[in-house]
Amino acid sequence: MEIRLKHLTKIFPGNPKKNIPDTHAVEDLNLTIPDGKLYALLGPSGCGKSTTLNMIAGLSEPSSGEIWFGDEDVTDLSPEKRGIGLVFQNYALYPHMTVYKNVAFPLTNLRVEEKVKDANGNDVLDEEGKPLVKKRKLTKIEIDKLVRETSKIVQIEEYLWRKPSQLSGGQQQRVAIARALVKHPRVLLLDEPLSNLDARLRLQTREEIRRIQKSTGITTIFVTHDQEEAMSISDEIVVMKLGVEQQAGIPQEVYNEPANRFVANFLGTPPINFFHGEIRGNKIYIGDAMVKEITDKTLPDQKVTVGIRPEGIVPSEKGVLPFHIDQIITQGRDIIIQGDHPLETRPCKFVVDAFTDVKVGDIHCEVKPHKCFAFSLEGNEERIA
Amino acid sequence: MIKKNNWKGWLYLAPIIILMAVFTFYPLISTFSIAFMKDYDYIKQTSAGFTFDNFAIVLGLAPTNPEAPVELQGYVTDVVRYAIPNTAIITFVTVPLSIIIALAIAVGLNSIPKFQKIFQTIFFIPYVTNSIAVGMVFAVLFDYNGIVNFLLGTMGREYAWIDLGAPTWKAMIALCIYIIWSSLPFKILIFLSGLAGIDKQYYDAAKIDSAGKFKTLMHVTVPLLSPQILYVMITSFIGAFKEYDSVVGLLGKPGTDATKNMYTVVYYIYDTISQNNVHYGSAAAVLLFVVILAFTGIQFWVSKKRVHY
Repeated sequence: MEIRLKHLTKIFPGNPKKNIPDTHAVEDLNLTIPDGKLYALLGPSGCGKSTTLNMIAGLSEPSSGEIWFGDEDVTDLSPEKRGIGLVFQNYALYPHMTVYKNVAFPLTNLRVEEKVKDANGNDVLDEEGKPLVKKRKLTKIEIDKLVRETSKIVQIEEYLWRKPSQLSGGQQQRVAIARALVKHPRVLLLDEPLSNLDARLRLQTREEIRRIQKSTGITTIFVTHDQEEAMSISDEIVVMKLGVEQQAGIPQEVYNEPANRFVANFLGTPPINFFHGEIRGNKIYIGDAMVKEITDKTLPDQKVTVGIRPEGIVPSEKGVLPFHIDQIITQGRDIIIQGDHPLETRPCKFVVDAFTDVKVGDIHCEVKPHKCFAFSLEGNEERIA
Repeated sequence: MIKKNNWKGWLYLAPIIILMAVFTFYPLISTFSIAFMKDYDYIKQTSAGFTFDNFAIVLGLAPTNPEAPVELQGYVTDVVRYAIPNTAIITFVTVPLSIIIALAIAVGLNSIPKFQKIFQTIFFIPYVTNSIAVGMVFAVLFDYNGIVNFLLGTMGREYAWIDLGAPTWKAMIALCIYIIWSSLPFKILIFLSGLAGIDKQYYDAAKIDSAGKFKTLMHVTVPLLSPQILYVMITSFIGAFKEYDSVVGLLGKPGTDATKNMYTVVYYIYDTISQNNVHYGSAAAVLLFVVILAFTGIQFWVSKKRVHY
């Protein structure tokens, strides 16, 4: 099911009497979420990602704009008619029901349409000659079958008779996913699905979500503020800031070619390093050090912010960029060197290979051109090179 | 170390301990001991010795005054004839009804977005109103020429609810309505505070799972509110077993006349004081205590599986 958001806007009205302005939680959002893909809405808190998810779910009404599921406009459809499964941030498992009952609960409300058959097994026709369709509840056996099928996918069969309070966070998470999946929704929505888990479980569960999504092939949208989480499991991401889409695309492409300073800053750990720099003669300079030559276009001389990814330098005697190392943090696989440069905007962190011979003190480094960007100082601080 | 300064702790506790000793523990122990005293005279503080007869007499198993003719053996048998059935009716009618009504009102109040605070205040007014005063208002409403009969189109003495000539069942209806009405505010308050503590996400989840309003109420709200429901149930059963001031408030003392008898167990207990029959009253109080204790115990036992904390 392809999902399209057209000019989606959500405004929370303020109070003019008390001088509280309107809050534009989501502003003119246009997105196409491809069928069968895992899609991440990514951004810091307050960026409108959860509001967007709630609007897709139907729990929150858009101020304007449209939501399409495939060929169907669902903007005005109530949540239960949209055919969605939603996993809440704190799971919202009913504490008084066993896991089995929790998973079965959506099914007990479900009505399936079935053609009415006569004694010979032929369709009964109505006055217009169409097959007569009757709505009916699922039988206990059908429910049981679906519950067991879904429990198998998310691997909670052992805990079916426990109460949610007797489960660990990760198990509760899987139960919540099972409850969302059991009625075979058209879309699975996950609201910050991993934020209540500890670090190890988070890694494990995100793989799990990826696996479940792959095996069911269901279009899945998930909201997160953790860029690593989003990048590692999603097919596509959109980065949002203050209700406005910043950039959408395949995670690696967004990382490699950030549209603006915000996106560059938001993606990557440790974060990108920024320097006050300038463009002179189509070359990017930090102070006197020429760090990158622009080859694909011609830009006028101007002051810019230069961003260098932490993995974007190689310490070298011949290097152009001087750098003072304050601290060396050993990580095993690699080393983080932390230090300053006179033109930095904040203390820099670079990641270098574990076998690199570095000591606290002054060094020089070479800059990898494809890890180095220039951002305009004006407007939305777009990347210009 | 701890023992050294122990007297300080007792000193801090002294005010409440003294108050409780005088007004709670002493009366409690006295009640239990007087219940087993024969012909106790509370003015002279004398008794004719230890006996179990008080309980038998209260329950109508033994005559008060074996020498007198049966019809003159006093009001004690009224306990069996009137007080126990009346108290049972009051308890098992008003408690379930008032809980259901209070729950409905609380859920309703919780779901209206506007004027919620105003309505909460309005519904809370009966709680802060003197029950005798409320009883008098209800007495006017249920007067044989009152508003209730006016609305029913049945004015006149022959249609009396609570006045002389009214049958017991009609007076009981009026009494139950009055008791339910005056017990609602506290219950609504408890339920509203419970509802406020239920995470809104459960309702969002139920909505997405396409559970209807009633199903959501029965499968989400009520189970999640079960601790509050249990609390309200136990306190209201205890209160209903002890119903007394409502009878006085609505029907005036003694609530008894030629056509009806609205005696309750606690009414009887108070009545024995004026008759200098405190030993019967104490025996009845002990019996009532045992019944309430047993009933509360049963509720806790049943609720173990049904209440989800």
